[in-house]
Amino acid sequence: MIYFTDGTKEGFLTAFLCAYNDEDALLSSVQTQLALGQATVFVAADPQKAAKAEARLLSYDKDCMQDLFYLLRSGMSDREQIAFRYFKLLADRKRPVRGMLAEDGVIAACECIRKVTYEIHRMHGFVRFMESASGALYAPISPDNDIADLLVPHFRARLPEFPFVLHDVVRKKAAVYDGTNVFTAPLQSAEIVLSADEKKWQALWQRYYASVNLPQRERLKQMRGYMPVRYWKHMPEFDRQEPFPMETPV
Amino acid sequence: MIDERRLRILTEGAKFDVSCSSSGSKRKNSGGMGNGYPSGCCHSFTPDGRCISLLKILLSNNCIYNCKYCPNRLDADVPRVSASPEEIAELTLDFYKRNYIEGLFLSSAVDGSPNDTMERLVRTVKLLRTQHRFHGYIHLKGIPRADEALVREAAKYADRMSYNIELPSERSLKLLAPQKSKESLLLPMRQLCEERRVFREEKRKGLFLPAGQTTQMIVGASPEKDGQIVRLTQSLYRNLGLKRVYFSAYVPVVHDRLLPDRPAGQLHEHRLYQADWLLRFYGFTAEELAPEDEDLPLDLDPKCAWALRNMQLFPVEVNRAPLEMLLRVPGIGGRSAQKILEARRYTKLTFEHLKKMRVVLKRARHFITAGGKFYGANSDTAVRNLLTAGEAGENAVQLSFFSDAETALSALTGEL
Ligand code: SF4
Repeated sequence: MIYFTDGTKEGFLTAFLCAYNDEDALLSSVQTQLALGQATVFVAADPQKAAKAEARLLSYDKDCMQDLFYLLRSGMSDREQIAFRYFKLLADRKRPVRGMLAEDGVIAACECIRKVTYEIHRMHGFVRFMESASGALYAPISPDNDIADLLVPHFRARLPEFPFVLHDVVRKKAAVYDGTNVFTAPLQSAEIVLSADEKKWQALWQRYYASVNLPQRERLKQMRGYMPVRYWKHMPEFDRQEPFPMETPV
Repeated sequence: MIDERRLRILTEGAKFDVSCSSSGSKRKNSGGMGNGYPSGCCHSFTPDGRCISLLKILLSNNCIYNCKYCPNRLDADVPRVSASPEEIAELTLDFYKRNYIEGLFLSSAVDGSPNDTMERLVRTVKLLRTQHRFHGYIHLKGIPRADEALVREAAKYADRMSYNIELPSERSLKLLAPQKSKESLLLPMRQLCEERRVFREEKRKGLFLPAGQTTQMIVGASPEKDGQIVRLTQSLYRNLGLKRVYFSAYVPVVHDRLLPDRPAGQLHEHRLYQADWLLRFYGFTAEELAPEDEDLPLDLDPKCAWALRNMQLFPVEVNRAPLEMLLRVPGIGGRSAQKILEARRYTKLTFEHLKKMRVVLKRARHFITAGGKFYGANSDTAVRNLLTAGEAGENAVQLSFFSDAETALSALTGEL
């Protein structure tokens, strides 16, 4: 049986209870790719059932909801199934399974969580703000995982005096810090009026980027390993019509 | 706003400092802009595969010294420019605000006198810290022969400081950097090490160089052997408490009869970083890695080379070996070793498990057993041949090395 959920934590926990005794259960919040001949059921989130499941799982491992939190933020289409296998193992063993690193279910869950937390770390570096005429900062992002709001605490801590918007242009939503409060809101597209100097600072940054490179040491594979090409599109250092001549005399 | 031309000259002059690390500072934001990111944060990567974390820039490239290897030396015919402390502060803040950088790495040629130069450097960081309330990362490169009081003042504002020892021996330093001396570099390093120790012991308020000191030396411009270089590195860690020693493979920018015409091998530099990693994280000593008058082998990483010299210690059983020993197995790094320790608490590990856990077995299998099973080659010579297979000449190794996906990611740090 395939159990479809609404993608929320309550939805997952409700489906978890329903599917727990089903040997062939498959959990998903992505409604594409219906397997032919598979029985399906849509599980509506039920707060009471979810609370019951949560309490039981927490009694086995008090930190496990943190794992679920990150798993459900994953951009992988089989995240619910990965979470299901992980929590089923937890419910079977009745004790924390996080360290059982030779178990398939744990390996998959750890890897999935690591992708999410690693992307958060990467985005702390790769986000590029542009300054708007009002002084607020705006950054378009398109992360693999649903993490826009999870980036806010980092930037708020270091730029407390600057309102900013992190716009996930793929999921069409924005995480906003208005100088006092933090919230998320749906956002299709944004028209930004740039500050007078914004383009000049971008040009200086492009100049800096070209200047620090050591052209006699090209290692593009390594560069792309650290900073995959999919992240480049919102970075001004890659936003030039003509590349800088990297090696002309000053 | 600084203009593009000066930005270019001042940053191109600074890029031979290889350190770009922004780790080690827990500085808090108490109003103003910025804070520390203890693990460090990379903001971009250049096509040479290096990380951009800091705005690396000179205050001036106008030098009264004449270090033979340096593009900014007195004798060089290059345009001379400088920036004001205000310009540097503004640039730092505007880059930081847009999240281009994690902070500033500021250094300078010796413009005027050492004291004048150091004073301007200190003024710049003080301006950032006090007037602009900037709490992001600041790495300040000290000027040798500046007054003790200026060094102390600088350490109040910087997160990290460095004095580059430049060359691996006093003799080479005399020859190639005649105005610098071993003492002029080691003195401020000792001063900072001592003052930091006192600061910590007395649990004084505030911060004093939270990210410690680093240094850098050029390799391949002078005749010192790797054995000597790793011993020097070890003593810098042990005696001066340095956080990090950087190596920079010599790149000829000027012709001088005292200097080689060819760049030093990057693989050679990489082997030194690997040896450095073994010293810092895996409990190796310099003496274990290479005899004083020999180089590290190029065809094998230093851990493999050590293991092949010590085959009597292997194979070790992954289900029992202590962490120190797992870390000495070629191919098993810190992460894999931790995973093994964790996983073996719950089950007896087999090679299947290791594979699923993504422990790389290509090299490790010759040095371990899992549940008593051994899948390595059956003689030491066979192991050696397998480990060096396909890496015939130095050039072949150099070319293939940095384009191999598995090793590419460790190429910068030397992680093994
Ligand atoms: S002191 Fe030496 S290394 Fe530094 S800028 Fe001057 S000449 Fe170059």
